[in-house]
Amino acid sequence: MAAAGSPSAALRCRDLCSRGIRLAGKMRSDVIDLLDTYVEQQGLDASASVAAVEGVPVAAVERWDELTGTQRLLENLAAYRAFRALLAQMLEEQQEQLGEADAALGRALTAVLLQVSAFIYHLEELLRLESRGPPSEEGTGPPPASHLGLFERKLRGLGVLRELAQWAVRSARDLRQLSRTSPGSSSAPSPADSP
Amino acid sequence: MWKNSGICYLLALAVLCLRSLTHSQEIGSLGHPKNLRCVTHNLQKMICAWDVSFKGRHGQTDFCYTTDDFPLPVCFKTKEKRIEIAVPESSTTVTITTNSISGTTLATKGFEIHKKDISFVPLTPRILSLTPDFSTSTLNLKWSDNGSVFPSGLDAFWQIQILRKEAMEKVTQVTYYSKLTHEDTILSWNWTSDMPLECTSHYVKIRCYINVTQFAGPKDWSDWSPVEEVPGKDTEPDGSGVFPQDTVVAVGSDVTICCVHEEGQQIQRMTYGPEIYPLIHLSSRSSAIRVLNASASDASGTNVVCMLSETEMDGTVLFVGYAPDIPQNLSCETSNFLIIKCTWKPGRPSGLYGKRRTKYSLFERISGKNVSCEVNEMNRERVCGFPVLPDQKTYNFTLGVSNPVGQTESSILVDLTQRVRPKTPEKLTVSGNSSTSVHLRWFINGSFAELRLLCQIEINSGHSEQKLHNVSIPGGKYSTYTAHLNMLHPYTKYQFRVRCSTADHFWKWSDWSRVEEHTTWEAPPARGPDIWRERSPSGKTLKVFWKPLALSEANGKIVSHEVSCYMLETPLEYKEVIEPSNSTEIKLGKNDCVITVVAKNHAGLSPPSRITSVELPNDNVKTDRAVAMGNGIYISWNSYPNMTCGYIVKWCHSSGSEPCRVDWQKFPSNTTDAVIKSALFRPGVRYNFSLYGCKSSGYQLLKNIAGYMKELPPKRAPNFTVEETSSDSILVKWEDIPIEDCQGFLEGYRLSFAKGEKDALKPRLSESGSPELKVKNITDLTKKSLKILDLQGKTSYQLDLQAYTAGGLSPPNSLYVVTKEDSVGLIIAILIPVAVVVLLGVIASIFCYRKREWIKETFYPEIPNPENSKALQFQKNICEGNKALKTLEMNPCTPNSVEVVETQSAAPKIEDTEMMSPAADTTVLADGSDSETENHVVVSYCPPIIEEEISNTPMDESVGSSQVVYIDIQSMYQPQIKPEEEREIDLVTTAGYKPQMQLPISALKMESRSPAEEELDKSAGYRPQANTNTWNMDTPDSPGSVESNNENASFGSPCSINSRQFLLPPKDDEDSPKPSNVGWSFTHFFQNKPND
Repeated sequence: MAAAGSPSAALRCRDLCSRGIRLAGKMRSDVIDLLDTYVEQQGLDASASVAAVEGVPVAAVERWDELTGTQRLLENLAAYRAFRALLAQMLEEQQEQLGEADAALGRALTAVLLQVSAFIYHLEELLRLESRGPPSEEGTGPPPASHLGLFERKLRGLGVLRELAQWAVRSARDLRQLSRTSPGSSSAPSPADSP
Repeated sequence: MWKNSGICYLLALAVLCLRSLTHSQEIGSLGHPKNLRCVTHNLQKMICAWDVSFKGRHGQTDFCYTTDDFPLPVCFKTKEKRIEIAVPESSTTVTITTNSISGTTLATKGFEIHKKDISFVPLTPRILSLTPDFSTSTLNLKWSDNGSVFPSGLDAFWQIQILRKEAMEKVTQVTYYSKLTHEDTILSWNWTSDMPLECTSHYVKIRCYINVTQFAGPKDWSDWSPVEEVPGKDTEPDGSGVFPQDTVVAVGSDVTICCVHEEGQQIQRMTYGPEIYPLIHLSSRSSAIRVLNASASDASGTNVVCMLSETEMDGTVLFVGYAPDIPQNLSCETSNFLIIKCTWKPGRPSGLYGKRRTKYSLFERISGKNVSCEVNEMNRERVCGFPVLPDQKTYNFTLGVSNPVGQTESSILVDLTQRVRPKTPEKLTVSGNSSTSVHLRWFINGSFAELRLLCQIEINSGHSEQKLHNVSIPGGKYSTYTAHLNMLHPYTKYQFRVRCSTADHFWKWSDWSRVEEHTTWEAPPARGPDIWRERSPSGKTLKVFWKPLALSEANGKIVSHEVSCYMLETPLEYKEVIEPSNSTEIKLGKNDCVITVVAKNHAGLSPPSRITSVELPNDNVKTDRAVAMGNGIYISWNSYPNMTCGYIVKWCHSSGSEPCRVDWQKFPSNTTDAVIKSALFRPGVRYNFSLYGCKSSGYQLLKNIAGYMKELPPKRAPNFTVEETSSDSILVKWEDIPIEDCQGFLEGYRLSFAKGEKDALKPRLSESGSPELKVKNITDLTKKSLKILDLQGKTSYQLDLQAYTAGGLSPPNSLYVVTKEDSVGLIIAILIPVAVVVLLGVIASIFCYRKREWIKETFYPEIPNPENSKALQFQKNICEGNKALKTLEMNPCTPNSVEVVETQSAAPKIEDTEMMSPAADTTVLADGSDSETENHVVVSYCPPIIEEEISNTPMDESVGSSQVVYIDIQSMYQPQIKPEEEREIDLVTTAGYKPQMQLPISALKMESRSPAEEELDKSAGYRPQANTNTWNMDTPDSPGSVESNNENASFGSPCSINSRQFLLPPKDDEDSPKPSNVGWSFTHFFQNKPND
């Protein structure tokens, strides 16, 4: 938290972190609900294992406790930007495939997309507090899905939502870790806080 | 390789054999040509081939032929054994000469070839292209018919064979027909596979047969063309996937879905939706499932999953839906001549959504214009717009409907001028400066030039029915339309709204415009008020009444009434009475005049109403009764011919302390009855009506009528008193009931009487149902007293008096009267016994006197002998039952005590025996009184239990001979009879017997027992075994379990009054250990008791 030297910046950082943690919690809860709806509506097996999908960021990290605050924020930001693009793509595909047949799924997807956008805003604000500013969004769009069959797209959607749920957990821990660290220090947290 | 070399050896051996065979033939033959055969492929040239028996090397062959047309031989030299020559018209003669290498002739042979010997075999067709369409699993085959070499018009048949898999299994074979046109035509044929083309390789080959009817020789199919292949994905090195990919099929279809995987992988299972299907092996890299009669899928399709391992899967989505239904109720109309709006109902849903949804397009045939329709899938009614084209009145629409499964259409021919439903009229305004007319203006957004519009104006007012007024107006372009309405009521609030349609060809009304309100102006009242007058009792003043005008007559707000009094055109008095007063008083003195009343509003005066003050005398005025109708009062009268200007019925409403409110109703002179109705009439209230007749000279009172709207029972009974009472009669007198309490015309009284004491709880006589009840009905209303006869003396009677009307009986008034004693009877009742006693005394005296000697001898002898005295002898000794007569024996007596001696050797069955219950001890201890000597009665036991216990229980010798005294159990029941006494007794001493008392074992199961009941149980049980914990449980085989205690606890307790068993367990020491011995002995019970 390099630029967060002033007390007001520290307060703002803590405020953003606590709100981000709440938002991540809400997002996880909504994504879990959406997963149920999605699996049922798409006729998928809830227990189906989905291999890593191209373009979907993975929440798992090997040395989580060694990450600096800035690294955490940047990884989160990259992931949620990817999720935003992927969710928008899912929403568009859902409109294309189902039309007005299942408005509930569309509404739920839209709600999660909004939450992801809001979370991105939080992350960008936190990065600004670091006097670093968020990186540009160039090249963060999802890989084109036109070559995928409908079944693969369904699986990809499942993978996106599952991974988003994982990310919501990780983000909450990342932000909790950030709020614990004192302003101005980018030191790594203790291993005890590892996810 | 090794295998191939083997075949080579075999072939070499076969060649050697053949060579040796030909060598032998060379020796045996001289190279004769034989087996000449000719085949034509195009009917013009034929290829003739022959065999030569000499297989060795030879030189050229001379081939010569002649025909009928050309007799000179045509010769060729050839080294081959076939030659192409022209097909002869009928026959040809062929001479074949074989030569040796050196040129010498080896053999010559002639052949005669007729046309019928020439075979016709078309050339083998060649496939030009075989194109797969993987999305539709369709193969497109193209080939040339080589028709240029044949005459035109020949029938050609093409046999096409489809093969599948590496093993080239035949899938189908079809015959395609074409006609040759003497040109080379490229033919095309499509075949749709029931299996996706990606699943495995498909092969196609073709042959043909040309039916040349004029050709005499044999005709045959051509050879099969070389096989053309469409390779499947399983032939591609990295080809994999589940096919078909995301396709749509119709409901009920049979679908084959295959899974192509990479070499080395194994399909674990394939599922269609939730179901696993059996695999059909296609190749080493491809398997398929077949779904029969597929049912409609969900909106997101049915997933087909190919599981290659637990984590690796591939899949596709199959959409199964219906072909579009034929659109129903297709209808087109315009609302503004700008857009034609066509609506229809889609019928059965296709079950396909999103990009697979049913799409609609509207095609107009006359103009050739086509528009695609954007419709909401979830809407039940679909709408599509089509622009109105200039100068086109008639439209021939075809609604095309299509989805991936199928398509359909529906058509409609529309004359647009007959299908107009104008838009909703807007901007409705109402204006007017008259009391009876208004002006309406409204706007319709649309171009209706050259049309007439029919507009309907709905008129609503609060006090009249809804009216509809139609106006026909020439149509215009985006015009404002107007209408004028007359015949409206003055000073009335109207609500208007408008809708329109076309006048010439009605199709549909537009929607109603919004409602616009308008109140018409005031006008003078339409008529004068209805008036009446009454002279004051003194005759000096006259009160004039008028009724308010109805809203429809007032034509505005009445502000006042002008009352004038004229005597022969001379005004005597004038008054203006401001609303809301509806009467006024005029001082007339003894004069009479004509009164006029005029109602006045802001617009003017009403026509005057007139009435004369003259009242004609009538001496003979009777009072009649009216008939109650429930909702009104029916009155009738005789016809009075003199009454030329009708009748007036006048009455008065009185409510509480306010002065009577006069009301009246006028009837024409031919009326003789009427039902008077008023919202002010109340049931049970008497109304007095006065019937006046109207003559030109004045009004005359004809009769008075009293009536009720509805008769009710009298509010109360008349007050009555007993005037006189005798020993057998009562004289009762009663008072009149006030009219306001009668609530109807009194019809009589009902006096009921019966014997009865004064008791507040006693019911009414009429309800008591007493058999002695007598009722007297008094219908003579003038009678105010009644003597009740034939009563009993010195007896209390209850008298009830009720009045009744047509509405029913009043509540009764009750009196209790005791009749006087009958003195004569009393005297007789005293005198007769006295007389009898005196008479008996006299007879006894006479008897004693006459027998005095005998009496003296017997009772008072001179030397008395007590043993002879019979007077001192008793019949029986009540104490001992000794039949010997003893006089005045003074032995001690133990009354009511019987001793029972119980011994082991006694009979096994114990009969009813006198004994004392152990409970008696408890009683004695509790109240301190010795009840032992008072309770000697017979005790009943329970023989079965006793019998069993006695037989099972070993007897204690020392106890067996002891004498035990019990009191009767039943004697314990006595205190239970009187509950009042029970309350006063100590709980211990009140432990009386409850015959139906709940046993503890059942009490345990009853959770709903109240604490009061439990307390009662604790205190009220019969306890012959006062302290059961002291029972001797010495039976060796008695189980000691707690569970068995409950049974034991109830064992030996009283069962009922009539029972011979004890039912109740001990309850007074719950905390103490309970008996645990099932084998409790009745004998022990008795034996242990004294030890307590």
